[in-house]
Amino acid sequence: MNRKVVEAAGKRLSLSNLKKDLYPSYGFTKAQVLDYYRKIADFILPHLKDRALTLKRYPDGTEKDYFFEKRCPVHRPAWVKTAEVHHKEVRLTACLVNDLETLIWVENLASLELHVPLARAGSPKTPDSIVFDLDPGDKADILDCSKVAMILRDLLSQMKLASYLKTSGKKGLHVYVPLNRKEATFEETKKFSKAVAEVLQRNYPELVTAKMTKEERTKRVFINWSQNDPSKTMICVYSLRAGEKPVVSFPLEWEELEMLAKKGDPKKFRILHSEAVSRLEKKGDLFRELLTKKQKLPLGSSDTLR
Amino acid sequence: MALQEIWNGTISFSLVAIPVKLVRAVEAGRVSFRKLHSKDYSPLARKMYCPKEETIVPADEIVRGYEIAPDKYIVITDKELESVSPERSRTIEIIEFIDIKDVDPVYYDHPYYLVPSKGGEKAYRLLVEVLDRTHKAGLAKFVLREREYLVAVKSTDGALALITLHYSGEILPDEDLVPKEEKAESEEKSRMKKIIKKMTADFHPDKYADERRKKITKLLEKKAKKQGTVEAPEIEEEVEEGVVDLVAVLEESMRKVKEHK
Amino acid sequence: MLGRTLWKGYIQFSDINVPVKLHTAVQQDRIQFHLLHKRDHVKLHQQMICAYEKVPVPPEEQAKGFELEDRKYILVDPAELEQADPKDGRMIEVHEFVKAGEIAPVFFERMYYLEPDTTVKEYSALAGALKETGAAGICTWTMRRRSYLGALQINGKVLCLSTLRYADEVVQAKALELQKAPLSEKELKIARDLIDQLSAPFQPEKFKNEHHKKLQDLIDKKARGEKIVLLRPRHLKPTAPDKLLEALKASMKKVA
Repeated sequence: MNRKVVEAAGKRLSLSNLKKDLYPSYGFTKAQVLDYYRKIADFILPHLKDRALTLKRYPDGTEKDYFFEKRCPVHRPAWVKTAEVHHKEVRLTACLVNDLETLIWVENLASLELHVPLARAGSPKTPDSIVFDLDPGDKADILDCSKVAMILRDLLSQMKLASYLKTSGKKGLHVYVPLNRKEATFEETKKFSKAVAEVLQRNYPELVTAKMTKEERTKRVFINWSQNDPSKTMICVYSLRAGEKPVVSFPLEWEELEMLAKKGDPKKFRILHSEAVSRLEKKGDLFRELLTKKQKLPLGSSDTLR
Repeated sequence: MALQEIWNGTISFSLVAIPVKLVRAVEAGRVSFRKLHSKDYSPLARKMYCPKEETIVPADEIVRGYEIAPDKYIVITDKELESVSPERSRTIEIIEFIDIKDVDPVYYDHPYYLVPSKGGEKAYRLLVEVLDRTHKAGLAKFVLREREYLVAVKSTDGALALITLHYSGEILPDEDLVPKEEKAESEEKSRMKKIIKKMTADFHPDKYADERRKKITKLLEKKAKKQGTVEAPEIEEEVEEGVVDLVAVLEESMRKVKEHK
Repeated sequence: MLGRTLWKGYIQFSDINVPVKLHTAVQQDRIQFHLLHKRDHVKLHQQMICAYEKVPVPPEEQAKGFELEDRKYILVDPAELEQADPKDGRMIEVHEFVKAGEIAPVFFERMYYLEPDTTVKEYSALAGALKETGAAGICTWTMRRRSYLGALQINGKVLCLSTLRYADEVVQAKALELQKAPLSEKELKIARDLIDQLSAPFQPEKFKNEHHKKLQDLIDKKARGEKIVLLRPRHLKPTAPDKLLEALKASMKKVA
């Protein structure tokens, strides 16, 4: 059956094109995508909650055109929660994925990837966390990212800051520092992350760059500190990535990263949909601290960083 | 939703004072375009530029000046400006109430909203409610930066809207506009009245916005297919420096990390 | 005294054509400040700066683009955009009529006076018809390579054309997410009586821009090198919610 009406929490949803293969070279249909998100819903929803969603839709699968949508589609069901947000100078209505039925509706639109800002829609100026987006340049790989991630972890812990790690689901790693105090503004977290990136660059010039230019990035890991911005979004933890295979952006414990780094095989960093589900069943949400742990930006960031 | 605050102070009528913030009521429409550099497709931003030094000038290096002779300026500070009408720079004092219908649209200048600050919610709600029931608007004068505004404060969908008005002296006379001699031919006039009545509907402004948006979206879709997109270069974002002690702390922590290795 | 003609066109609806000329209706008189560089008082200019090269970009090197996603733009020719809007030309096309009072003030942007062009007859008939029906025409037109949505209204004997904002440019009051607060009938009644007491007809001539002269005085004083005494702005103490009724009663006593 290619179209199906389902009920979730008493709300009716018409699902379409269920047999369409969204990862054609691997073989993963829209029905399977929906099934994946349904299974991990309890884990991903707290991370999506009250954040203005950017949809990245692949109506004809990952090998065809995709489009970004920051606006919540106008033909949405009445029960989809939305927020009025500012993106750069433009005001727009964005979807809030706060419940299972909205998640299923969004996935029925083939939004394989779910991107969310670091701040909640109700407090758009104060991010809940700082992110260091580690992006390997040409001739560098995720193993180089691991080295940088571990240095970063040590540096942050010297400053009494706990950090958490996830794979990007593509080639890089994301290191997060939870704040959850609604104090520091993006301006402040951006300054902090830039200063950190530059210190790492100065100390490990062969391995790290804080500059965006392509040439600088060759053979190095680019620490993209500029993601700490109200207009930027990050791929949500547990979201699928659009690629050849349904790989998930998934948390790793630091010990596991050390092990993977020793093994030296970039492919081992790839966590597929089925493994994501079984890992979640076994260990639960390794990213839960990101939503609750309260930490302060060091050194009077709100006074001296102004 | 957090709207950017333009001003804060109090609005008062008689002995009631309500703490409020002023926010915009008008913003860029839903289909908005960016200006780009045709050379590299990088977005353009409006900035203040010093022609002598050929540099972009940051906000903290800009002052306000009045030209008293060619290239000779008197600098006026924010504090001095606020001091010109101290009783009106932080207070919107309603002097009287008028029937909003009596205000000819020619007086309307720019609309804003007032939103209550902490503790002002109840009195705000009272003013909204009573203005709504009476179809009245409060008239006041208040000073924002370098100008003094005559404003009308009215109730709109449960909020206080503040509309700046033109002074009557700013409205140009219209007497010479229409020659007096010719009387409207009543036949033509009643024909027009009939057509007007036939064409009368309720005012639904979104209909025009939607239609325009639809047309532009269609055009954009067509263009996206036909010519694709252009890509702006990635930009090294500027973050102000001056975080010396943070950098020092980071370097010190870095040294410790290296020691432990 | 009339300003110069800004534009000529004709109002069109059904089989009616009324040729008109547009004139400015408002002229603002304001003290003009310039923005200066703090250290040397060089007058600054507003420039469009390229975010990548950090250089000013002259108009002939400017293009228009729609941001599809981060850093990716669809280039748009302004002439193409015009096509998405009302037809180019001289026509002010009236699409429908509404009750004049129905258009909320927030929509009004700028008003122009209309003067009859070539013939007065049609103009007077339309003016009379609008007056007697209390109607305003909702129209669109293109002027100086920009398209407008507008309202055609009668003001005295003169036809006026106001440009209107599009609905998606106007912030809806509900976007402010205001909280409800309970009010007693008593508070409402006294407040209503108070407003009635303080009501007057709208007489805009009563209000002069007094600030203008004071500001000019300040400038003159500074130019003469006199010392400026800084006055602190008056801050009113907000009425506490539990003192609201009291303040209303006291106000009532004051005005009665």
